[in-house]
Amino acid sequence: MNTLFHELESVNPNMKESGKSTSDTLERLFSALSDRTRLRLLNLMAESEICVCFFVEVLDIPQPKISRHLAYLRSCGLVATRREGKWVHYRLVQPEDPRAARVFTEVLAWLTDETQMKHDRKRLATLCCATLVPLGLREAPRPTVKRVREESDPVPDHAVVTAL
Amino acid sequence: MNRPLKGFDTQTFFQALADPTRLRIINLLGDEEVCVCDLATALGTHNPGVSRHLAYLRKAGLVSARRSGTWMHYRLTEPANLHARVILASLRAWLGQDESMVEERATLSRICAAAALEADCASPNGTAPSPPRP
Repeated sequence: MNTLFHELESVNPNMKESGKSTSDTLERLFSALSDRTRLRLLNLMAESEICVCFFVEVLDIPQPKISRHLAYLRSCGLVATRREGKWVHYRLVQPEDPRAARVFTEVLAWLTDETQMKHDRKRLATLCCATLVPLGLREAPRPTVKRVREESDPVPDHAVVTAL
Repeated sequence: MNRPLKGFDTQTFFQALADPTRLRIINLLGDEEVCVCDLATALGTHNPGVSRHLAYLRKAGLVSARRSGTWMHYRLTEPANLHARVILASLRAWLGQDESMVEERATLSRICAAAALEADCASPNGTAPSPPRP
């Protein structure tokens, strides 16, 4: 598979030469990050792998568009998929090249600071923990994401018990 | 819905970096202030094209400009956002490891040195912009 991170090998002298320049590699990496929907998708995958139907619900964007962006991220080697019956799960892939990994880690840290990204994560966590979920998610496998606590949230009872 | 965000915009920042010419410009600027005419010569292209890319980088908060006579001089700036600063630093280190990028900086050094001799791009105090050190 011709992924970004296979190409990244070309700029590391310790790895195999594949003929791609640093500029090509960087252009591809930053092109993948140049779209807000793709950034929002990466942000949602930061904690765990996610089924496509959850992306559709959280981002409120039609599935064909979501799938197109996920395919783009996959072609760049930034995400990988796992099929489970009729469900397709997506997860982040950490770059092998340490320079790309450093950039990617910083991008994910940046996303956690943004208001819209925080909102998306909160929405995902709410959907994952909800008793009643939208029809499209009834049978879908739920991602195992942490609940995003807001400062305004009441402290849960069990937390008080633990603290005591 | 993809709402535009207030403040430093992630998407604009990455769009600015997702172009081979703009990556070359970032590499050429390094730590120096460089005249747009020297950048154009080093890139083997025309001033208007380079100026367009520089305007893009400026909009993304990656370069600042100073007019000196006819010519605009550009330098890299520290992005307002901490994460953007870290990413730009990693990117510059990465570019510095690439042979063709290093070669281009050496070419720009020669161009700037020649321009200094002709004093075509002289700054108001009579000195030409310092050539970038690869």
